[in-house]
Amino acid sequence: MKARAIIADEPAVLPPQTVWLLLGGFLGAVLLNAHHTALWCLPLALGAVAWRARSLRVTPRLPARYLRTGVAGLLTLAVLVGFHTLNGIEAGSSLLVAMATLKLTETVHRRDWLIVLGAALFLLLAACLDGQALWLLPLYAAELWILCSALYGLGAGADAPPARALLRRSALSLAVALPFALLLFLFVPRLPGSFWALPQPNQAFTGLGDEMSPGSISQLTQSGDPALRVRFDGALPPAAERYWRGPVLHDFDGYTWRRHRADLGRAPPLQYQGPAYSYEITLEPNQHNILIALELPQGLPDTLPNAYPTFDYQLIAPAPVSRITSYRLQSYPQHRTDTPLSAAVRRLDLQLPSGRNPRSVELAHSLRSAADGDGPYVDAVLDYLRRGGFTYTLEPPLLNLDSVDDLLFRTHEGFCGHYASAFVMLMRAGGVPARVVTGYLGGIWNRYGEYLYITQSDAHAWAEVWLDGQGWVRVDPTAVVAPGRLTEELDDLLPAAAGGRRLLDSPWIVDAVQAWQGLNAWWQDEFVGFDFAKQLGLLGRFGVRNHELQALALLLAAGAGIWLALIAWGLRPRAQRSADDGLSRSWRALERKLRRVAAPRAAYECPTAYAERVGRARPELSATLAALARRYARLRYGPSVSRAQLEQFRRAVRLLRTPPRHPAR
Amino acid sequence: MPPVTLQARRIYILPTASGVSAAALLFLMLLAGMNYANSLALMLCFMLCGVTLVSMHECHGMLSGLKLLRAEVDNTFAGRLGELQLYFDNAQTRVRAGLLLRSPGCAPSRFRLPPGGTQMVRVTFQAGARGRQRIERLELSSSAPLGLFRAWTWLHLPLEAIVYPAPGGARPLPARGGDALRGAWRSRVSGEEEWAWLRPLQDGDPPRSVAWKSYARGAPLLVAHYDAPAGVRRVLDFARLQGLPLEQRLSQLTQWVLDCERLGETYSLQLPQQSLQPGHGIAQQRACLEALGLYGQ
Repeated sequence: MKARAIIADEPAVLPPQTVWLLLGGFLGAVLLNAHHTALWCLPLALGAVAWRARSLRVTPRLPARYLRTGVAGLLTLAVLVGFHTLNGIEAGSSLLVAMATLKLTETVHRRDWLIVLGAALFLLLAACLDGQALWLLPLYAAELWILCSALYGLGAGADAPPARALLRRSALSLAVALPFALLLFLFVPRLPGSFWALPQPNQAFTGLGDEMSPGSISQLTQSGDPALRVRFDGALPPAAERYWRGPVLHDFDGYTWRRHRADLGRAPPLQYQGPAYSYEITLEPNQHNILIALELPQGLPDTLPNAYPTFDYQLIAPAPVSRITSYRLQSYPQHRTDTPLSAAVRRLDLQLPSGRNPRSVELAHSLRSAADGDGPYVDAVLDYLRRGGFTYTLEPPLLNLDSVDDLLFRTHEGFCGHYASAFVMLMRAGGVPARVVTGYLGGIWNRYGEYLYITQSDAHAWAEVWLDGQGWVRVDPTAVVAPGRLTEELDDLLPAAAGGRRLLDSPWIVDAVQAWQGLNAWWQDEFVGFDFAKQLGLLGRFGVRNHELQALALLLAAGAGIWLALIAWGLRPRAQRSADDGLSRSWRALERKLRRVAAPRAAYECPTAYAERVGRARPELSATLAALARRYARLRYGPSVSRAQLEQFRRAVRLLRTPPRHPAR
Repeated sequence: MPPVTLQARRIYILPTASGVSAAALLFLMLLAGMNYANSLALMLCFMLCGVTLVSMHECHGMLSGLKLLRAEVDNTFAGRLGELQLYFDNAQTRVRAGLLLRSPGCAPSRFRLPPGGTQMVRVTFQAGARGRQRIERLELSSSAPLGLFRAWTWLHLPLEAIVYPAPGGARPLPARGGDALRGAWRSRVSGEEEWAWLRPLQDGDPPRSVAWKSYARGAPLLVAHYDAPAGVRRVLDFARLQGLPLEQRLSQLTQWVLDCERLGETYSLQLPQQSLQPGHGIAQQRACLEALGLYGQ
C-alpha cells in the first residue's frame, strides 16, 4: 500500500512535451469558451500558461498560500458580480477557468496536473453545451485529441515518449473508442425532460412576431437566418400551395395587427379534400410557441404530445420553442367547412377601430354596394388592387397612423404585409369576416439533404376570409400585385435588394452552399437532434418498446462485449522475428560445439551467463568460453566492427576443442 | 524453473484513486449532457468512457502474456537485504511500461520492457534468520498507460535462499598452518591462474594454451605460458571457539571466512560432523558459508 501512495504523490518531473501538451490543451479549452466566459478569463489563463511555460522542467516557486486563497476568493466574487450567479454555463465556465488557472500556478504533483486536465475536459463539455454547430466539430475533436495525448503523457510520467508518439497513441485510442462511444450514444437511455431547470438562454431570435406593423415583415426578410426545414414523405406540394402557417392576427388598431389571446372555442371542423402531404418539420428556435405547419394541418404533431390547436387553426406548443424542435404532421391544402361561423369569431374578425382609415371604409362601402355577395366582393377588392397602380417593393415609404388610407390613396407602394393589412381591412369594412395570417411562403429545395429550406427571407403575410358554405378561404393579395411572388424567388422580384447577392450566384458556389447546408441539416437531424423521441423510434425499429429496458440493457452489454472482444483481439501479444548476421552464425556454431558438453543455451541466458554455466560444468573450458562470450558481446554491442575482427572471431570459435568428458573425472 | 507466462485470469485490475475521480467526472459529464439533452456533450462523455476502457485493456495488457523466463536468488547474510534476479521477456510488439516489482516490505523496482526485449530485474528482499528462507510471493504491477487503473499479479516462485549467519566477532584469525609456502615467486591474490609470458598463436598450438583473457580484452590471439598455483592455509575450527554461544561461534567463523577471502588466503573449515577441504575463491567461500548457514538444520 505504501508503494502505491509513493507513486500517486510522486512530484511530477514531467518532460517538456507533456507540459506543452497539458498547457496547450488547457489554453485550447479556455479559448473554446472565450466567447461566453467573463472578459478577464482569457488574459488570466494566458498569463498563467506563460508563467508556467517559463519553468517547464523545474517545479516553480509557488505563491504563498494566503495569496492564492485570497485570489481565489476575489475571482469567485468577480464571477458573482459579473453574472449575478455561479450557476449556468457562462458563470460556471468562468469560475472553472479561474480555479483551473489558479491550480495551474501550483502544479507540483501528478494529481495537480490531473485536476487541471479534468477542468480542461469540463470546459470542453461547457463549450459543447454552448454550441453544437457542425463547423465547431473539428475544433472540439482537435481539443479532445490534445487533452487525451496530455493524459497519456501524464500517465507515462518521467519517461514519456516524444509528443508525436503521444499524439499517435491517443489518436489510436480515440479511434478504438469511437465505435464504442457511438454505441453508447445510440443506446444509453435519454431523458424526456431534465433533472434540474435550465436557465433560459437570453438570446434574441429573428422570426415572426406576435404583431405586424407596416414594414415589420420586410425587415424580417432581410435576415438570411434559417426558419425551418421540411422533409416530405412523398411528393412536394406545388409551389403555389407552399404556405407555411404561423401566427394569425386578429386585433387591428388602424396601424398594427396583433394576435388575439382569448380562447374562442374550437375551430370549425374541416372536410379535407384533394391530396394530403406528410412531412417532418425541423423548426429553429424562435420567440413564441407557435408551431409552423403547411396549411392546413390535420391532427397534432407526434413528438409534442402537449401541443394543442386553436380556434384559428394555429398549433400551439406548451412552451416557447427555445431549441431546435422536430415534429411530423399531415396537411391538406384543400378543404371546406359547412359549419356556420361562431358569433364570437365573427364579431372578432369584423371589428375595426372606429374613425380610422375613413377613406378606405368609404371605398369598401362603394365596392360592396356594387358587388353581389361576399365572393364577388372579394374579387372586386382584388381587382381594385390589381388595377390601382400598386407596386411591390421591399423598401416602401413610411406610412402614417391611418396606414391603409395612406397606402391606398397616397404611396401605392408596399410589401406583402401592407397589402394583406389593407385587404383584410377592406374585407371587414365590407362585412366579410377576415384576418391576417403570417408565415412563410415557398422555400428552396436542397437536393443534397432532400428537404425544403425556408429562411426568414421567405416570411410572408396573407389574408383569410370567411365565405359561407366554403369556410375560411386563403386570399393572397400580394399575388395580384406581384403575380411572380408565388413561383419565383423574392430576390428576382426585388432588383433593389439583390445587389450583393448576385456575386454569390455562380452555380458552383450555390452548389457548395447547398451541400454544406445539407450536411448541416443531416448533423442537426441525426446527431444534435437525437433525443428521447428519436431514440424510442430507433429502439422501436429493433422491436424494443419503451418498457423493454431489460432487452435494451442486454443489447448494450452484448455490443460492449463484442467490442471488448475485438479490442482484446487487436491487443493480443504477437511474436517478433530475430535478426540474423555473420556474428550470430559464428555464435550458433559455438553453441553447436558446446551441445556435446552441456545443455543447450536456454532462452533466458545471455551469452555470458551461458558461457559461465558451461564453464562451471567443464572448468578446463571456462576461461576460453568466458573470453569468447566477452568478445562476442564486444563485437555485438561495441562501437564498430571490422570484417577482420569478425573473421578472427570465427577462427577463435573454430579453434575451440570440446573433447568428450574424461572418464576419470 | 520453466518459463512462466502470466495468464490473463491471474491478473487482477482495479481503478486507482485517479480512476475513481475520473469515473466521478465522467458521471458528472453524463448528468450534464443528459440534463441539457445535448448530443455533443454526451458524445464527448462517451468518447472519454471509451478511452478509459481502452486504457483499462492496455493496463491489463501490460502484464498479460508477460513471460518470466527465470528467477534467481542470491544468498545473503542474516538481517540484511538480499537480492533476487528475475528475467522477463516481452514477446509482443508494444512496450510494457510502468512495471513495478516488489517483495513484501521492500521498495519496488521500476522497469519497462521494449518490444521483443528481455530484461533482468533486480529486486531486494528482507533476509530473516540464518538457514533456508523461502521467497514468498512477489507483486508485479503496472498502472500504465493512464494511471486510471492498476493491474497486478502475484508471482509465486519456487525460490529458496540460504541465509548465512551475520558476520561478527572480534577474535583474530587462527595462525597459518599445513604445507604453507611452496616458494612461489609471485604472490597470489585472485585465486585464478595467470600467465607468465605470451607469444603469438601459431598453427598447431593447443587451444588450452591461448591467452583467452587477453583476447577477451581485445588483444589478438596469443599463447600463454603459466605458473603453478601457490598459497598459504589456515584452519577455521569450530571447536577452537569454546566459551561462545553457538550463533556467535558461527558468526565468528563467517567473519573469518570473509577475512581469509579478502586476504586471498587458502583456508579450510572444520565443523562438528563436517569438514571442508582447504581451498579459496568464490566456490570455497560459498561452500563454507552455506555450511555455516545450514549448520544444525
